[in-house]
Amino acid sequence: MARFSRRGLLRLGVASATLAAGAAIGLRGLRGSVPDAGDLSVLSPGQYQTLQALAAVHLPATPQSPKTGADFDLGRLFDRYLADQPTADQRDARLALELLEYGPVLFDGRATTFCGLTPDEQLRHWASWSTAARPLRREIYWSFARFLGLAYYDQAEVWPSVGYPGPSLARLQR
Amino acid sequence: MSEIIDCSGQFAGPAPQDRRCQVAIVGSGCGGATAAMLLAEAGKDVILLEEGGDFVGPAKLTQRDLPMYDQLYADRGGRTTTCRSISVLSGRVLGGGGVINASDVVPIAAETWQTWRDHYSITEFAAAEITRATEQALADLSARPISEDQVNRNNQVLRRGARALGWRGELMLHNRDGCKGLGTCLIGCPVGAKRNPRMVAIPRALAAGAQVLVRARVKAVRNATMPEKTLQIACLDERGYREGNVFRVIADTVILAAGPVGTTTLLERAGLGGPALGRFVSLQPQVPITAVMPEVVGGYDGIPQAFAITEFERHDPQLGLSGFRIEPIFGTPGILGSLVSQPGADGKQLLAQLPHFAASLLLLPDESRARIHRNWAGQLRIDYEFTEDYRRRARQAIAAAGRAYLAAGATLVAVPNAPPVILRSEGDLPSVAALSLAPATIPLISAHQQGGARMGVDPERSVCDQRGRVHGSNSVYVMDTSLFPTSASSHTMAPTVTIAHLLAGRLAAGR
Repeated sequence: MARFSRRGLLRLGVASATLAAGAAIGLRGLRGSVPDAGDLSVLSPGQYQTLQALAAVHLPATPQSPKTGADFDLGRLFDRYLADQPTADQRDARLALELLEYGPVLFDGRATTFCGLTPDEQLRHWASWSTAARPLRREIYWSFARFLGLAYYDQAEVWPSVGYPGPSLARLQR
Repeated sequence: MSEIIDCSGQFAGPAPQDRRCQVAIVGSGCGGATAAMLLAEAGKDVILLEEGGDFVGPAKLTQRDLPMYDQLYADRGGRTTTCRSISVLSGRVLGGGGVINASDVVPIAAETWQTWRDHYSITEFAAAEITRATEQALADLSARPISEDQVNRNNQVLRRGARALGWRGELMLHNRDGCKGLGTCLIGCPVGAKRNPRMVAIPRALAAGAQVLVRARVKAVRNATMPEKTLQIACLDERGYREGNVFRVIADTVILAAGPVGTTTLLERAGLGGPALGRFVSLQPQVPITAVMPEVVGGYDGIPQAFAITEFERHDPQLGLSGFRIEPIFGTPGILGSLVSQPGADGKQLLAQLPHFAASLLLLPDESRARIHRNWAGQLRIDYEFTEDYRRRARQAIAAAGRAYLAAGATLVAVPNAPPVILRSEGDLPSVAALSLAPATIPLISAHQQGGARMGVDPERSVCDQRGRVHGSNSVYVMDTSLFPTSASSHTMAPTVTIAHLLAGRLAAGR
């Protein structure tokens, strides 16, 4: 096992910290400016933007169903949901969205972030999370897929596109 | 006759006064409510505490996914295993899991009691006592078989497939009375047709003088080894998330019936339970499967679960329940939408065929190897280990369900794996054998968590004795599914009411 002098360890530490800071600044630079997102409780505007982009690509417009997940502002709905969750869960969700945003850089070696991809590229990238070798990426995939699916298909505007006639008690009483 | 007290009214402002009682019960599901009923009717001074709210009637039970998951389920239905593979669903509402289940009544089989006797030294109860408690449970639940005219098309499809293949199946017992076939049993019955704890045991407990408090979160049980126990309780806000004023309940006897997660958490905070606490947990992970039929099925209408393929159920003398069973299920679009594995237009196009869907859950008993605990940050962790035996049976179950649906005339059967597996003919069945079932590749569902505070004789391998009393405590009991040494049944409502009759019945009689 290699032995380091105290001075050597100090140099290594400084170099590592400099590299990490440089990488963080570089990643931030790749993302570019983030538009204002209005009032948010837990998510940053950037994290909200990532989730909205994901909602649009996970649940895109189709001929039968022209509204996307983003059209229902599922990003804000998730933010409100997180507001009631324990702090540690909020932190995990925020980290997951950061990882997704920088996924193209970290996992595909691209020089752009998730929001910088075209919708087709975003879909391919997102689909790759569902079959990724790393369990963490699959876990994040299912966490967001479940939430977005539940929230989107609970919207009454979506029901005609899936042939759901709506809550049965109201139909029974008509 | 007492009234239900909603502690959200005392969330702010003057703090509630401390209360005293003989028996404090934490959790109002099948175990807690039954215990409250029996003990109150025996003349005990009982306080029943529930973290969730009271949801009865169409104004509150709206048949909508988001608000109902938000209010009726623990962690809003978002609770999962650590590996995110399994949704761990349990009730957080007055009446507990009985409010949000599919009303299936499947008692503990004689073979399971035998396994518990032979391998877990559960010898406390004579056969006649077990029979009597089971009969009392079935009476509480008004259990009766589903009638033929209540079998909806989703159930008929699977039964047709089973019959074509010559497989054994049965119409199940249910706890329904006045069912309108509204189809949203999993998010509450707006017409109150379920004969669940909210509609039966809790009214009887109230009539006998029990105090029932909702939006009351028990934070800790103090002095668990002393004659007088103190429960620290926070009043929750109207939505049940923020904690406000705090008060105490002082009790001679404490019964924990908050489900495996809630019960083990409170025992851990009380410093009770020993090395077995949170261990030996069974989750019974269920696999969802969907078929697309040529005809309109309209599975969202009618009773979701009526028929079961029981051909493949087995009993292992050591492990207890084994094999698998296939049961139709359906829900609202949100529930089904949350299980679609494909992102993008492919997923939306699959769900656009909703009226033609026939859907099932594959119920797979598992070995009790999961563990419930908290990490360094206090976050709940439910560690789950998929055994090769579970994976093998899951593949068999998927293939069997696929065969049944194809025999019933399905145009395709979709396994929500990522990537998805689509079966269009029996020739596609070998693709099921290639499913890895690795963590987070398929959305699994746990609706019947059991264990974590199991009963037994060895304090190193169990948390409670055979009467449900926590080892080393002074009159702290467990009376919920946490007690079960192995999977008690494919559905836990009837077993939990049964075990509550056995244990609370003795407590009420002072035996």
